[in-house]
Amino acid sequence: MDTQWPRWEVFKKDTAKKPYQAVGSVHAADADHALLNARNVFVRRPQAVSLWVAPAAVIFSRTAEQLEQGNPLPDVDQSVQQTYQIFRKATHRRSMTFMDHIGQVEAPSPAHALQAAIAQFPDPPALAWWIIPADQIISSGEDREMAAAWFDPAKTKTYKHQSAYGFVSARPQGRRRSGAKDE
Amino acid sequence: MTKINEMTMNDEKQTAEFEARIARGEKIEAGDWMPEAYRKQLIRMISQHAHSEYIGMLPEGKWIPHAPSLRRKMILIAKVQDEAGHGQYLYHAAETLGATREEMMDAFLTGKAKYSSIFNYPSDTWADVGMIGWLVDGAAIRNQTMLAQCSYGPYSRAMVRICAEETFHHKQGKEMVLLYAHGTPKQREMVQDALNRYWWPSLMMLGPHDADSPNTPQLVRWGIKTKTNDEVRQEFIAETAPELLAAGLTIPDPELHFDEESGQWIHGPIDWDEFWQVVRGNGPCNAERLGARRQAHEDGAWVREALNGYAQKALST
Repeated sequence: MDTQWPRWEVFKKDTAKKPYQAVGSVHAADADHALLNARNVFVRRPQAVSLWVAPAAVIFSRTAEQLEQGNPLPDVDQSVQQTYQIFRKATHRRSMTFMDHIGQVEAPSPAHALQAAIAQFPDPPALAWWIIPADQIISSGEDREMAAAWFDPAKTKTYKHQSAYGFVSARPQGRRRSGAKDE
Repeated sequence: MTKINEMTMNDEKQTAEFEARIARGEKIEAGDWMPEAYRKQLIRMISQHAHSEYIGMLPEGKWIPHAPSLRRKMILIAKVQDEAGHGQYLYHAAETLGATREEMMDAFLTGKAKYSSIFNYPSDTWADVGMIGWLVDGAAIRNQTMLAQCSYGPYSRAMVRICAEETFHHKQGKEMVLLYAHGTPKQREMVQDALNRYWWPSLMMLGPHDADSPNTPQLVRWGIKTKTNDEVRQEFIAETAPELLAAGLTIPDPELHFDEESGQWIHGPIDWDEFWQVVRGNGPCNAERLGARRQAHEDGAWVREALNGYAQKALST
């Protein structure tokens, strides 16, 4: 019996200037639950100013390899447009994030949205695309107080950072921290 | 020509293109073509890795109530919490290959799936917490830094994120061990005892010798592993042994020495019988660890039930 909750992809925005980036997924019953799980799993450390979640099932996903076979457009009513958020992966560089959010387009279907995105964002060439209906993405919110309550506690937990331990070495030239005195 | 032959030829062509992509340093993403064996190996490796993160909470979690200071307690809670998070990153990566969370959890709890041998050793004293951080997390980071280069995008990204966090685990352990190594006679005795028990299992956890690791050549060719077990083990010893010795500790291997000519550390024979015993379920704590994991799963049933009730409501609206 399938008792899994749906999977939600999580997008984290590290600073006001950085784009939302795909960091991984969580299972959750609904969007609020997904946001809570996303915070616990992906924001145990700074930094974040906002999170988005979207049901994995609604994501229209294509890799460059898949697009070599073409991007067939469905026969749909062109007058019914909706907004799609566009995410792109453009580099094979070592990274802890996948897709970057690069913008949005209006289109009558996900495939049309992809076609528009390829035309609108040609550089750098994409290795993979995600097209997500804007109304399916739920945000942790722009409210500053809320954001502070969600994301600031991680900032004070400096002991979670390797930098808190300085240069630890047993060798004579190493500067050793004196460590806690209460042990 | 029969249809099957055509399929095989097509498969060979796709495999050649796939291997060329990997040779060019490209990352394979969910949706890209991949050989079935690549997919299966990755699901096996990633889910085992995820289970290891989960089981890894147990030996250290046991010491949270007994931490000698508030600082050490906060550090240890954060570390154990990280391991749970790392399990989540990895289950996510395996899910991109079509494995489901339920299948993986089921294989884990029924004992069908393996996890790292190291977590089947007991954590007998508080000093073990430090030694686990320095040696076990140190060895894991060596392995994970290698896996961060992995050809499969989702696994590689999970590893990059995990390595960034795991460095803290390693450093807090090393800091603690060095503090005690220069501390009171009792503290020195505790860390030496921890080293005596954890040195060999730490070497073993990096896996069998290359000669006894038949999957390695294909895993290397497909860029799943970028180094062999012996190469990673050598890196680990080269990094760790000089510092343990400089701290005045004795490594429990009389044959261990640095060979100037080859530039390699030479170690004594590893007890692979012990390793395979532990892998097959007969280590000192296998039953206890899996029992604790199952108990935690059962104890959490009411939470899942409550959330399922909520989910039914949420999903039907």
